[in-house]
Amino acid sequence: MALSKDELKAAILEKAMTAPKPQLYVKDFYACDPDAKPRDVKNAANDLVKEGKMDFWSSGSTTMYAAKGRAKDEEHR
Amino acid sequence: MPKHDTPLLDELEKGPWPSFVTDLKRQAEKKPECFDILGQLELSFKDKITHWKHGGIVGVFGYGGGIVGRYSDVPERFPGVAHFHTVRLNQPSSKFYSSAKLRDICNLWEKYGSGMTNMHGSTGDLVLLGTTTPNLEPLFYELTHDLNQDLGGSGSNLRTPECCLGRARCEWGCYDTQDLCHTLTMHYQDEIHRPAFPYKFKFKFSGCPNDCVAAIARSDFAVIGTWRDDIRIDQAAVKGYITGEFAPNAGAHSGKDWGKFDIKKEVLDLCPTECMWMEGDTLKIDNSECTRCMHCINVMPRALRPGKQQGATICVGAKAPILDGAQFATMTIPFIEVKKNEDGEFAEVVEVIEKIWDWWMEVGKNRERVGETIMRVGLPTFLKVMEVTPAPQHVKEPRSNPYVFWQADEVEGGWDRDVKEFRKRNAQ
Repeated sequence: MALSKDELKAAILEKAMTAPKPQLYVKDFYACDPDAKPRDVKNAANDLVKEGKMDFWSSGSTTMYAAKGRAKDEEHR
Repeated sequence: MPKHDTPLLDELEKGPWPSFVTDLKRQAEKKPECFDILGQLELSFKDKITHWKHGGIVGVFGYGGGIVGRYSDVPERFPGVAHFHTVRLNQPSSKFYSSAKLRDICNLWEKYGSGMTNMHGSTGDLVLLGTTTPNLEPLFYELTHDLNQDLGGSGSNLRTPECCLGRARCEWGCYDTQDLCHTLTMHYQDEIHRPAFPYKFKFKFSGCPNDCVAAIARSDFAVIGTWRDDIRIDQAAVKGYITGEFAPNAGAHSGKDWGKFDIKKEVLDLCPTECMWMEGDTLKIDNSECTRCMHCINVMPRALRPGKQQGATICVGAKAPILDGAQFATMTIPFIEVKKNEDGEFAEVVEVIEKIWDWWMEVGKNRERVGETIMRVGLPTFLKVMEVTPAPQHVKEPRSNPYVFWQADEVEGGWDRDVKEFRKRNAQ
């Protein structure tokens, strides 16, 4: 059974904060709830960005998600 | 910011062509950071490597696209371009601007950016080149509130949809490209601004098979106008071309004397399926063999027109990357009527799009375009997902189509049949 939206957001944030890589593709969050539809996972991740708990990281051609503070700009690399 | 010596770039100002180097030097009088663009580019020419880094968490609040972070890797030498982010603006359908709108955009960009633009990016966006992180939010606020203009797509988003001039300027438009482009842009605002996909996804809309926006070569989802009845022929106008009353190609190649128009040489013999011939003074077309190449219609626009039953063909999976191989789109839906329903939506087109997305979001690998996913799993699998019955037109050519994989239930006896028995029969 699919998680509730709040549970899904909590699972996504947990993964974003603990994954070895600071930036994750949206598909990497699908495993947080195998029963959820990809769009629901995307919407939950986007909500976390709106709430200021996650950031988008974009190379220009690809976009990834990162827990707030984990991703770095190219400026700092 | 000081001027830099740019002997290599100065070479690009020689010759009869307009030069971006001259433009940058002129702009640098107002915006000194443009001297640093020139300096850094000169250094790149010497070092034979780019000195731009791109990517990061730059953007405007709530948007996961539209801004591409760009930084110099030699900021101490060129501080004016230490941050030099790119901003993509969603262009109006067919790029119809008023001059007042262009002035407003340029004025805003002079205020918040370098003033340098790229008209237009390959996705059709108006590209504003070079601003700093603190300027992004104020720029975005004025752009959206004062100019009623939005950002375009970047990253793993739906990219800014693009269309040809369509029926606004062209008699061959088989559907209203501008309407479809604008309606889908509004319908999919979330997908344009917030990353949803394994990788980028592009829509392009061409009104006829001339495909002026190169949708079949560049877009994941190409909607190309077509017709399914017969090409309309005005036999009197055909005679007019033969007698020289009308200039072929609407006079497009009239700068040189090509001699008398020869319908056999210039039209009939160039038909790729050889489906045209003359019977006396009458032009005949075997429309069942026509592949919509548009050559005859382009050469004799007064005499030939697309048929009356108009709609579009949907091709899926093109890409034109800098690295790795370019790929043409695969014809998936041979014909679809492009009509709005009572809710003002192109429901049939939306249904096709969302079938593709639902499947690709699930099955596509990270950084895999939908065309690559189709190549990986095979066209028959994709056609099953799309609930499309395979047709001969889906096959590139017999026995060499890399997509075709038989399923056990499609073969008599499945995989368990007696091969020796089969060979015996086959040998007879």
